[in-house]
Order: sequence, then structure tokens, then C-alpha cells
Amino acid sequence: MGKPTGDRASGNRTEESVSRRKFLSQSAAAGVGAVAIGSQQAGAQANGSIRWDYTVDVVVIGAGVAGLPAAITARDNGASVIIVDENYDIGGRGMLSGGRVQVGGGHALQQKLNIQDTPDQIFADWVRHDHEESIFSDRDLIRVFADENVATYDWLIENGVEFIEKPSRSPDAATVDRIFVTKEWHIPSQVIAPRRNRNGSGLVRRMEESARKKGVQIFLKHKMTSIVREKHNSGRVLGITTVNGSNPVNIAARKGVIVCTGGHTGNVNFRRIFDPRLTEEYQQACEPYVHQGADGELAAMDIGASLWSTANQTIGEGAAITKTRHVGCRWGYSSLVYEPDSPMFPQARATGLTVRDWQNMIFVNQNGQRFWDEGDGSHKFFAAAMGYNGDKTKLNGGGPIWAIFDADAVIREKWKPAPPHVDPDGYFYSADTLSELAGKIKNPYQKKPISGEALQQAVNRYNGFVTAGADTDFKKKTPQFKIEKPPFYAAWATPILHDTLTGLRTDVDSRVVDTRGEVIQGLYCAGESQGGFAQHGLTRCIVFGRLAGRHAARVKVADISGQR
Amino acid sequence: MTVRPAAALVHLEVNEPTPIEAAVGSSVVVRLRASCPAGRARSGMAAKLLSPDGSEASPAFAKHDAAISETGDILLKVPPRIGEHIWRFVLPAHQLARTQYEEAVLDVRVRGRPQASSLAVWDVPSPVIAGAPFKVKIGAKSSADCGLKGRDVEVLRGGEVVARGALGDAPFAGTAALYWTELQLGAPREPGMASWTVRFQAEGLELPHDGASSTFSAAIVPPPDHTLTVKVIEKATAMPVEVALVRLGAYRAETGRAGLAEIRLPKGRYELNVWKAGYEIQPTTLDLDKDASVEIVALLVPEEDPDARWKM
Repeated sequence: MGKPTGDRASGNRTEESVSRRKFLSQSAAAGVGAVAIGSQQAGAQANGSIRWDYTVDVVVIGAGVAGLPAAITARDNGASVIIVDENYDIGGRGMLSGGRVQVGGGHALQQKLNIQDTPDQIFADWVRHDHEESIFSDRDLIRVFADENVATYDWLIENGVEFIEKPSRSPDAATVDRIFVTKEWHIPSQVIAPRRNRNGSGLVRRMEESARKKGVQIFLKHKMTSIVREKHNSGRVLGITTVNGSNPVNIAARKGVIVCTGGHTGNVNFRRIFDPRLTEEYQQACEPYVHQGADGELAAMDIGASLWSTANQTIGEGAAITKTRHVGCRWGYSSLVYEPDSPMFPQARATGLTVRDWQNMIFVNQNGQRFWDEGDGSHKFFAAAMGYNGDKTKLNGGGPIWAIFDADAVIREKWKPAPPHVDPDGYFYSADTLSELAGKIKNPYQKKPISGEALQQAVNRYNGFVTAGADTDFKKKTPQFKIEKPPFYAAWATPILHDTLTGLRTDVDSRVVDTRGEVIQGLYCAGESQGGFAQHGLTRCIVFGRLAGRHAARVKVADISGQR
Repeated sequence: MTVRPAAALVHLEVNEPTPIEAAVGSSVVVRLRASCPAGRARSGMAAKLLSPDGSEASPAFAKHDAAISETGDILLKVPPRIGEHIWRFVLPAHQLARTQYEEAVLDVRVRGRPQASSLAVWDVPSPVIAGAPFKVKIGAKSSADCGLKGRDVEVLRGGEVVARGALGDAPFAGTAALYWTELQLGAPREPGMASWTVRFQAEGLELPHDGASSTFSAAIVPPPDHTLTVKVIEKATAMPVEVALVRLGAYRAETGRAGLAEIRLPKGRYELNVWKAGYEIQPTTLDLDKDASVEIVALLVPEEDPDARWKM
């Protein structure tokens, strides 16, 4: 296996701070080239030529659950590889995941635990017509996914990933126990949200460790700005442009560019392509560590790529949108809490108050009105939360949702409604009366004040339901507790967007396909930016990342015009 | 030869639009800006502020750029009187360097509106036996956190005052300034849902306040005939389940250490619901025409993992 050209010392996580001069001197050793490109190309390409700072075989955009296996596999197949990531550290959302890898097909651990499974069973599960999460599967992708599961498990083990030997079944289309949880990374300071079962850290750190050992270069704080193609809508992909701080860094890819940027849920404009209701107030899971900005999709679409199986994004099932579990903070995604010792805490600002029982509160919308049964976690709840509520200035999206509760609820939930548990700067309020509470609520997404009278009426009506023992408005199951004892609280509880379930069209080798159905030579995609498959979680990212890396590495080296 | 200074106009404005109205006793924060043709010296200018109460101040211009001089924050405290108030900024005619400035005047007008008051009513028992006395707690709050000790609150039913009391000496525990009292009321003689209105008139406070009203309700029930004893046990172990909520429509009770709850009820048909987080308990229909006991089996379900559906 040859060393990558443009090589630098690897294995040091802080190596991302490299000066422009150093880049240029290193890339001179690697062979800086200029290539003429089409005049219609955007961004850095618009001047008609690109000066490459690095040239390698394969460039991977994104050092997460798809990007790391793509890079390792490409390297295993003899390619020189650079991964770029805009973040200061690796992992993407995988770093913050629970590490639940849905991998099966009859691999060694399943056999050890007497779990009967086959690739055909995986295929059968994920092409089911009677389950929302599999109706719109691209069956060509599912076939190769199923056939690659066992090899993917073996590959994870070979690359140092360790699993807890306790299987479970995911509540999706699967009919066999295939969830295996990775062991959390052993160095707490390198787990972004330590002490909160972020076992995915053990997945991505092990892959990072393996990638670095094998000579994959990881350029952190490098944000991809465009994918360079020979011509705007034709020819092969040549490389990418990035910025490191304010410094442009352009990387040529002799064999391929692999988009593993992680999805689009943080991009308001992009997500509204699929669902116009998803306006700015809905937050993205895993912020502020990871932003899913649709960068890869947009850059690929700029050069002709197609989206695929977009119905998956709006199936109304699964985890595309989730209830806020930790109220009173901006990012209260269910299984993720940034404790005060997390490096993310200064941005997250609060842990939130973890709700154990939805009986302890009501939810009101931006008008101070109840809108649904608070105990319901189905997509009917989200439809109601995003429903039109009479604001003629906001026809799409439902505006902020606030959890309203009283002093007795705080005691029952054993909460401490003060920092660091809550964020009083826009996401948590308290007051002596409900009327006063309404007047205090000020938040960037709360465009108009809540009427004290409206909030008082909503609570009085709910208290009447508690008294009578029945909720005649929304059928909440035996409403138990009145909201009456001061002080009163309002906590941010607006739903949070999670899974990206659609993305770029690829073939079974993860090669990106354009809007005319033609493969874009030299461009690949894996992970949440890839369309065709609505399975929640990590496995599809790993499987298609491996496929992309393998195929790209085996491509005959392209003759990049102008390369020295 | 004597050189006559050139005359210059100075324009005064505040940094952002002031509110049309603000609560009496509150403050409106502004910064005064003076602008005149670029290049003119303004560093020595001094403004005067005439407040509605007749006081004067001399806010200093702290920042100067090419065209604008700006003061720091100036607090315009709205007097304790409802109506329009005018703050007048005056930059007297003066000469600076070789420039003669004419007098400039800016009036800032804000209408003083009353402070708000609001109410909370809590510890309302329910159900209440028809005709029986019961107590509620009532608190009143000033939006300016004024002390409300000794102020009256009234409870009305059907437009008539049925109870009145003075607010206590200190705010309710955990609140900033919610002054409160406990009043005794009498339940109506007819069963059904009954509502009351609470009123706080807020007259005579140092700052003018709007009054407040609020409502509360309680279920009024006939006198009980029988005692229902409910025992809640856990299915797998037959151990008593304590602190489970027992509901029969408006009637409610909580199980004690032996898993027992007693409820006095009139005869009739009821749906019995028992609820405790972490348990699954089926509702039961009861026909009650004598003292009775019922055992309810609660199925312990694994503590809900809030993340189960969503874990990655």
C-alpha cells in the first residue's frame, strides 16, 4: 500500500491548524496543478481555473459514520485519501449517537447469540410493503445493503470497534434482533457529551484510530465549498474546494470524491423542499456540535446530481421529527444532554429539564393555546404542533411550543428550574402568575407576545378537565394534575428534527446519479446525504461508505488535465 | 479683521423610536444623538434634559464620530401618573471653535399607562360536597412588584361578593411578590361544576394599577353514601402499590403505604381509573350501592426509556 501523496504526519488530532504557507509548500511536494474548468461553474471555479493545493486518489467530505469507513476502505484498497470536515473534531452525529448499529445477516455475534438471520431476511424486512419505513425503499440499494451486512460487521471488528453482546430489536421494519451497541470511547474528554451513554463515540473514535494508523489524512476545520467537475453538467469530478478559516484549500481527487456530509435537517430552505411546514423554529438534533447544512447535497446538485426517494422524508413515521424531551433549553433532543463539563456546554447553555411524565404539564402554541394531547408522541402530535393556528403572518409552521407547568410539577419531577438546567435567555421563564408568565416569554421565534388572558384561559380550561377527570378537547388520558400553584413556568418544547431520510441518488456502488439518470463519474455519496433508504441510524452509513470507498479506490486513475 | 463664526444647525434625535406608552414607574432607556454637518467640532457640546417632574440633568455626549455625537444610556422614568409625559432635551445655542450653533430642542413623549396586576388561585379542593365550606388560596401580584400587604381580594359568584379578605404580610414562598391569603367559601347546594370569580381592584396603590380578575372552578357533589376502599397491588409480586392516584370522575384519592385508598361516594355507577407512572392499569366500571372494596391489579412496565424510539 503506497503512502498518500500530499502526505503529512497523521495521528495527531490537533493537526488541523495548518497555515496557508504550509499547505502550499506541502502541496508543492504533492504536485500542485491548475486545471481549466467550465466557465459556468460556481464559486471558486468561476475564475476559470483551479490551483490544487493537494492531489490524492480519493477525497472524502465528512469525517463521520459514513466518511470514516469510506476513507478506511479506500485506503485498504490502495488509495491515498484525505478526509475534510468542517468541524473541529471528527465523528459528526455518530459521535453523539447511542451507538446502536443495526447490523445482521447472520454475522458471528448473531451466531454466538443463536440469532437466526440471513441477508435475504434483511432484504425482506426492508422492502416490506406494510411498514412505512420500508415502503419507499430503493430495492436495488436494499439488496446490496443486505448482502453487505455480514461483511460490514466483520469490517467493524477488524477496525477495532467493540460491541456489547446484548442484542435488541429496533422498532422499525426489522423482524430480527439486529441492534448491537458499540462500547463507549474510553477517554471521557474525547466524548463530546460524556456520561450520557454516547456509545457512538466508541464507533467513530475506533474508526478514526484505524484511519489514522492506515495513513488517512484528516483535515479538520476545512469546509467544503464546491465540488469541481470538468464542465458544469458533464465530465468527471476532479476534486473539491474548501476553506480553512479564510484560507482556500483546493484538493484534487484522481479517483473520486465521496460526499458524506450527513444530511440536511439543519438547512431550513432545503428541508422545506420536502415539507414546507419545517420553518426556522424547529431545531436540529445534535446541534450545536454538528450542523446538518445540506452542503453535500447542494454542491452535488450544483453539478447536476439528483435527489432520490424523497417520499421517505415525509412518511410520517420514525424519527424525522421528535418531541423535545429536555424542556427549557434550546436543544433538548431526547437522548442527548450536554452536561456542564461538555465542550459544547458554553453553546448549549443548559441541560434542560428531563420530562418523566407528560401529565405534569400542558403544551401551548405561540398563541398560548393547547393544541393536542401532551402524552402523544405520534406524528399526529407533530402535525398539530406544526398546524396553522390563526397567525396570518405565519402560514407555515406552527411557531414555538411551550411547556407550561407549576411549582407542584417541579416537585413531582424533582427538577431544579435554574441554570445550568435551564436557559433563561430565551428558552425558560418563571413568574408568580400565569398572566405575568405570558408577558415574559421572549424568544427569537416567538414573533408576538403571548396574551396573558389566553394562557390563563388555556390553563383554566385544562384545570377544569383535571377536576372533571376527562379532557374533552384532546382526550389526554385522565388528566391528573392542575396547573395552579405558583410560581409558574414556561419551558421551550418545540419539536426537534432528527433523521435525514432522503438525499442524493446513487447506484449500488454509491456513485451519484444525475437528473438524467447518468452516473456522475468520480462522485460518490453515503450516509444521511444519500437517498433511497429510510432506515434510522448508523448501519446504512457504514455499508454504503465502505462501498463508495472500495469502488472509488478501484477506479483507474483519471488523467486530470494540468496535473504535474 | 474679525471673522464671524459660521452658524450651524444641530439635529437632535434619540437612538431608536421610543414606545408610545409605558407603565407608570417604569423606565424608558434612550440615547440622545446630536448631528450636524460633518467636520464640525462637537466634542464640547452639553445638553440639558428637562424631565416631567421638573428636574434637570446634563447628559454628556460620550461618543463622537464624523457626523454624530451620542450620549450613554439615559433612563426616562415614567412618573406615577397616567397620561402623556414629555421629556425635553435642549442643546442651547453656543459657540464651539469657529462654529456658532443654534439652539436645538427635542421632545420625547411617552404616555404613562397603569401597571398591571394579576392573580393566582390555588389549593382549590375538588370535589366539594354540596353546601359544605371549603378554602382556597388567592394571591395578587403587581407588575412593578409593589407591596400588596393588606389589600383586599374578593370572591364573587353570580355577580355577588361571597368572600373578601386582606392579603398577608409576605409573598408566597418561592415567588417574587405574590401577596396572598386564604379565604373560606361555601359550596353551592346543587351538584355540578361551579365557578367563582376572584377580583383585585388595586386602588390606592402608590403607582396606579389596573385591577385583575380570574376564575376558578370546582366540582360540587352530593353528600356521600358509601365508602369505597381501593387496594392496588402489583401483578407479579402482589405487593401494595403506594402513591397511586385513584380517580372516579371528579373523585380522587391516593393510595397509602398499604396500597389502600378510601373514597366516600354517593351511590351510582363510576369508572374507576388508577394511575401511577410506570404501571399499566385497566379501568374498571363499578356500580356502588353499599360500602365496597375493590382490588386493582397494576402491571409494572419497565420504566419508559424516553429514547427507545429514537436512539441512533
